[in-house]
Amino acid sequence: MGSEFVTKWQSQVKKGTLSFIILSILKGNEYYGYELIEEIKQNLQIQLAEGTLYPLMNRLKDEELVTSKWVEQESGIPRKYYTLTTHGETVLNEMKVYWVEMNKSIKKIL
Amino acid sequence: MKNIEFKSDSAQRIYNDYLHRVKSATSILSTPDQTDLLLEINSHIYEALQSIPMANEVESLLTITEKLGRPEEFLVPMVATRKIVEAQRTFNPRHVLQALRLNISNGIFYAIMSVGYLFLSVFVLLIVTKIFAPQRTGLFMVDGKYKAFGFVSNPDQMTEVLGYWFIPLTLGAALIFYVAVTLLFRLKKTKK
Repeated sequence: MGSEFVTKWQSQVKKGTLSFIILSILKGNEYYGYELIEEIKQNLQIQLAEGTLYPLMNRLKDEELVTSKWVEQESGIPRKYYTLTTHGETVLNEMKVYWVEMNKSIKKIL
Repeated sequence: MKNIEFKSDSAQRIYNDYLHRVKSATSILSTPDQTDLLLEINSHIYEALQSIPMANEVESLLTITEKLGRPEEFLVPMVATRKIVEAQRTFNPRHVLQALRLNISNGIFYAIMSVGYLFLSVFVLLIVTKIFAPQRTGLFMVDGKYKAFGFVSNPDQMTEVLGYWFIPLTLGAALIFYVAVTLLFRLKKTKK
């Protein structure tokens, strides 16, 4: 019963922080969708429902936090590369400040 | 778009079927948006295939598509968002209606917009009914008191007071609703 609650909570935390994680990974680097998924999985040991990444990238693009461009490949199958925008960097910095403050506050009560 | 070619016929059929489902799930969008989404899913499948051993094409492809999910489900939020952008760009009533249908559960804003469009549709419908059933459509009074506005099934003992003025008046009301709904949409666009 308890572990079920924790699993749900973990899922909510992951969902709530995914955009923060993606923006952080994109800082200074450009990634295509599949590469971004692999980066998230490797660095954070998060099992990501892969189909959920693309709607989220679409939303981040609508919010003008990221931009994308198609890059042709020798295989003939192009990759869509995502890059952080200047506005995205500003938002990411605000998120970082909040994250650090939140972390401090939680540590105090743990 | 270049399709991925498989050695196995079964893998090729699974792949073709998956892309067909992606196309169906995005068919409501403009051609550039459909192509963009299809290219992205195709790219994901291709890159994933490159990163896992291809001992069994069918197994590999099934694993990749299972992790991606059902196109009819995971593409829904993307289709809904892109339809809104398309509607905001064109203000084409068909796109606006489709966008509202897809987003009606995404907040009070879209619910209000839907009500606005419903009123707009009713006004347009009333103009049509006034042409084909003029006695049953209009502003009806009984003994000098307001009784009904619109279409009535039994106008006996009621007096219709507007006559064919009903058409320009209703058209004006429809126009007001159209402008209000469009302004709301623009407001949503600039609020971002």
